[in-house]
Amino acid sequence: MAKSTRKCWLTFEGGRQNEPCLWKMSRTYPDVMFDIRQASVQKDIGIMAVLFTGEEKEIDGALEYLVKAGVKVDPVEGGSNVAG
Amino acid sequence: MSFIKALRCKECGADYPIEPRTVCDHDFGPVEVAYDYEAMRGKVTRDSIAAGPRSLWRYKDLLPINGEPRAGLRSGYTPLIPAKKLAAELGVKELYIKDDSVNYPTFSYKDRVVAVAITKAIEFGFDTVGCASTGNLAHSVAAHAAAAGLQAFVMIPHDLEEGKMVGMSVFGPRVVKIKGNYDDVNRLCSQIADKYKWAIVNVNLRPFYTEGAKTHGFEIAEQMGWQLPRHTVLPVAGGTILPKVWKAYQEFITLGLVKDNAPRMHAAQAAGCNPIVKALEEGTDLFRPQKPNTIAKSIAIGNPADGYYVLKVVRESGGSGASSTDPEILDAIKLLARTEGIFTEPAGGTTLACAIKLIQSGRIPRDESICVCITGNGLKTTEVMQGQFAATPAINAKMNEFDDLVRQITESANAKPAPVKA
Repeated sequence: MAKSTRKCWLTFEGGRQNEPCLWKMSRTYPDVMFDIRQASVQKDIGIMAVLFTGEEKEIDGALEYLVKAGVKVDPVEGGSNVAG
Repeated sequence: MSFIKALRCKECGADYPIEPRTVCDHDFGPVEVAYDYEAMRGKVTRDSIAAGPRSLWRYKDLLPINGEPRAGLRSGYTPLIPAKKLAAELGVKELYIKDDSVNYPTFSYKDRVVAVAITKAIEFGFDTVGCASTGNLAHSVAAHAAAAGLQAFVMIPHDLEEGKMVGMSVFGPRVVKIKGNYDDVNRLCSQIADKYKWAIVNVNLRPFYTEGAKTHGFEIAEQMGWQLPRHTVLPVAGGTILPKVWKAYQEFITLGLVKDNAPRMHAAQAAGCNPIVKALEEGTDLFRPQKPNTIAKSIAIGNPADGYYVLKVVRESGGSGASSTDPEILDAIKLLARTEGIFTEPAGGTTLACAIKLIQSGRIPRDESICVCITGNGLKTTEVMQGQFAATPAINAKMNEFDDLVRQITESANAKPAPVKA
């Protein structure tokens, strides 16, 4: 299967900034590679720019997992669905 | 002659060719148009600008287009009004209103950014343009696209004011109402731009679109006699205009067209949607997105795309921020109308109400020059003013009834509203 990439902004609030959400996601979706390109974490909020690589369906599942875990997932403009 | 160098990442400084691109591949930071200021020296002068058309295109050399302007040939060059009556009422020495409520053709500052974006869309060969909008941008995109012969899709939140719906539909765009707030609309537009390869002006043309906002600042400087105001108060929605007016001031300083008087930039937001002002007050670099709840719908953006850069510029310039409640916004709209004859929408009321607060608190000293930027027209949002005025009684067409009415008005203690003291 062809690999795809997806650029996203992840926002961690309401205590999520103190949880290893990405690590937990990667245990469930081990074939989705995540690459943190930029991050800033403060007391109440954390924001990360993350590049996800993997099969399209797997990435969808990984992002859905994060949303269910309370992480806000926003597509990066011009990079929401880029074929790898 | 074009002085454009590249699209440059605002975070890491990486350069990219001039193309429809919004972010850096490396760190996803926003890209911005970079110019060759050295090459401009001696060529972009006060005289060369003054010889240009009476529109925003008089600053063409500082805008990211390659050929001749293709849209908005009459946009910009709006009045800068020395607001003497308002200044007297607020107890300040030197106050100006930059009045984009009369911008052409759709009566808001958006006609500046859209003129540049549509020109760029045509240069890139797009046949369809679109936007995520709180209303004013949709009007402008629809009007400019109609005039340029492009197809337009405008995406708006479902609860937009009825007056604004008419003001965009008349130009014949495809209007798409989205169930959600502006941030939901914007999010969808990011995906639409990727999938459909359309020119969504505030998404994939954002680096070019935002450059148009600089013309608001260029005009302030030129119309003040090639000087900068010491304090500029601007509304913050998506966060485009404030950093770009700052960039305009810095470009004029770099080119030696104005003296550097250490201009300060102040952010104005509605209390019902003030993520940037809250972050300024809390001293944080990151802002927490909010769910908007304010009558100032045109600036009700809870997750501003360029909010981080607004914080940066306000702090770097030594400025500040304030937010105002809906009743304060309405009072400010009436104050501006009563003193200067300008009817602005709630965004303008917000800006003035916040300027008053900043003057009251001493963050804007009363003896320094102040420019309050009015970005939209009140005739688009008359519904927010309903119930604000006493009912007008009808009389018969008889002179004695008119005489009685004049007597009543003269005797009425409320005939002249009490001045607002800042």
